[in-house]
Amino acid sequence: MQVFVQTLVNGVTTGMLYALIALGYTMVYGVLKLLNFAHGDVYMIGAYIGYFVLHWFGGPTALSAPVPLVLLVMFALAAGGCGALGVAMERFAYRPLRDAPRIAPLITALGISFLLENTVLLLFGGFTRSYQTPSFLPFSSGLHIGALRIDIVQGMIIVLGVLMMLGLRWLVNHTVLGKSMRAVASDREAAEMLGIDVNRTIALTFFIGSAMAGVAGVMSGLAFNQISNTIGFLAGLKAFTAAVVGGIGSLPGAMIGGLFIGLCESFTSSYISSQYTDLIVFGILIVTMLVRPTGIFGAPTLQKV
Amino acid sequence: MRPRFILIAVALLALIAAGCGSSSSSSSSASASASAGSGGAKKCTTSIAIEGPFTGPVAQIGLEQLHFAQLAVAMDNAANATNVTLAQDDTQLTPALATQKTQAIIGSGAVAVVGPAGSQEVNAVGPLFGRAGIAFISGSATLPALAASGKNPTFFRVVPDDSVQGPQDANYIISHLKPKAVLLIDDAEAYSQGLANAMTPILQKAGIKVNRQTYNGTDTGATLANALSSLVTSQLNPSETVTVLPWQTAANAQQFGLDVQQQRKKTILFGTDGTNSPSQFKIPGTYVSNFGPDISSSSSALDKSLVSGVAKYGPYGAFGVPTYAAADVLMKAISSVCKAGQTPSRSNVLAAVKKTNIPASANPLGVPVSFQSNGNLTGSPGYLFKITGAGKYIPVPNK
Repeated sequence: MQVFVQTLVNGVTTGMLYALIALGYTMVYGVLKLLNFAHGDVYMIGAYIGYFVLHWFGGPTALSAPVPLVLLVMFALAAGGCGALGVAMERFAYRPLRDAPRIAPLITALGISFLLENTVLLLFGGFTRSYQTPSFLPFSSGLHIGALRIDIVQGMIIVLGVLMMLGLRWLVNHTVLGKSMRAVASDREAAEMLGIDVNRTIALTFFIGSAMAGVAGVMSGLAFNQISNTIGFLAGLKAFTAAVVGGIGSLPGAMIGGLFIGLCESFTSSYISSQYTDLIVFGILIVTMLVRPTGIFGAPTLQKV
Repeated sequence: MRPRFILIAVALLALIAAGCGSSSSSSSSASASASAGSGGAKKCTTSIAIEGPFTGPVAQIGLEQLHFAQLAVAMDNAANATNVTLAQDDTQLTPALATQKTQAIIGSGAVAVVGPAGSQEVNAVGPLFGRAGIAFISGSATLPALAASGKNPTFFRVVPDDSVQGPQDANYIISHLKPKAVLLIDDAEAYSQGLANAMTPILQKAGIKVNRQTYNGTDTGATLANALSSLVTSQLNPSETVTVLPWQTAANAQQFGLDVQQQRKKTILFGTDGTNSPSQFKIPGTYVSNFGPDISSSSSALDKSLVSGVAKYGPYGAFGVPTYAAADVLMKAISSVCKAGQTPSRSNVLAAVKKTNIPASANPLGVPVSFQSNGNLTGSPGYLFKITGAGKYIPVPNK
């Protein structure tokens, strides 16, 4: 029972991170029909911003400010920095290719992914860096009831993740920006004709999606301690799988897909072998594409002829 | 406006590519061809290369190896009046990249090579160096088959192989830690599985139940963390009072140790040389074996000069000393070639390396350095450390 419960907690924690990254994939795909493969590296940049903010406050063992304030600044700057990075990527790399064949922005996205990874390598080196989270958020400060052990970081990831998803859902369904996003996703030209500022809407979509990836990066650093310039690629692929499984373009789909992939990984590791996790996760991606290409929540798109 | 943006993007990409290139490839200036005599004074001039993981998850180890090799080259150049340069080739501990770098080295003027670091890399590049007749000395590749197969005729190592290290570690666990059961996890790499294979039968023969598990050591981020956490959750049983981690990445061992603490489980961790990194792996009570000694408090003049020579780079583990020894062997071989009035070439340096005989007092390993015909070290040093509550590595007798 203890193994099952702990595996569940591990899976939900990982799944929540995948879900937050997958939301960025799915939002961008929704408005631009673009698979932004650099999104995983935006998450990596977020993890680095969090790391440097932590050290700006004196480092994990000698923080010069209260822990909640440090965490708040880490999340805020990672969200802001990654959001700005997302807007810059859209403005300088994707917008000029908006009317190009769809393969062009896809290849550009891969190029940006490598550009970001290697820029971090050049600037900060290839060392694995550690948040040393237990130094300022001890394991003992979590929730321990019987077989259930949720440490404070896992709890924070789950609560923050749920809040961000609910906030995003509210934004998309109940605000003018959300309406604009849905309009651009539905028909960009028609939205432009109706007076919607398409460029601004797309830029804001990139900002929000990238900001969420930045927050996920800090969460990842806090939960898993180690960060390096290579963490974004695999996480990005897993999040992409989550978005496809959930139904790319669907916000609830990204959330459910992320949790599903996280749980699959966790239960495979615990009950089969961690060596099979990638095999099973990417196997699920292939099966989804073959059996239900629209994913769990995706609706088939009608093509005008 | 659009062409301007494209130009800026292309320029940025080129800048990054140029930066990457300069940081990881053989520099042409360093791989000048061997020649004896330059200017008025006759000076022994040539180049060697070092292959190591200078970036990537184990960059800490690679950079430590690089700094000690640079120190060996500088000290031996000064002592022997040679002018040997050291080219750097970053392999990131991956056989594919090591192969690429090896081909570049073969095409350069390097007469010998320090490294590569990983057994899987030696497996990949050994036949290439063998065909080119280039001596290469690893300061950390410990897979027994590397010397036994005959595939790597120009391979040497200044560290004992797993058939020495594995039994030493297993016997220490049996006699000092006395567990009834052991969790032994390999990271699916040649180095890790070699050590695990060497230890498992010895532990089993002593009546210890071995729970053998594997995880994918090349995973990163959330996937890796999930795998490690799940291993603690599902595989670490209360009877397994010792967990052996023969891994290549110290940060992964640290993460595993934190997972053990987080899940309130009790086990003594036992790492091997790959996890020996005072800056990355510091779970109190852990044992870490290694093939290199701790020279930080040694009274020998050579050890003191090494300690002061690398002090500017910050903390270091036990990977540097064997790499110093490897570079020192090559430098002394080149010097002996020059003293014999010859120009250093791949063949005469290889022949000189085979004849190496450095007394224990003249190298920091603490044992004489000479090689068997298969390239293995004649002696078999082995060292063990225990991590204190403050994260410090304290040497402990390993017998």
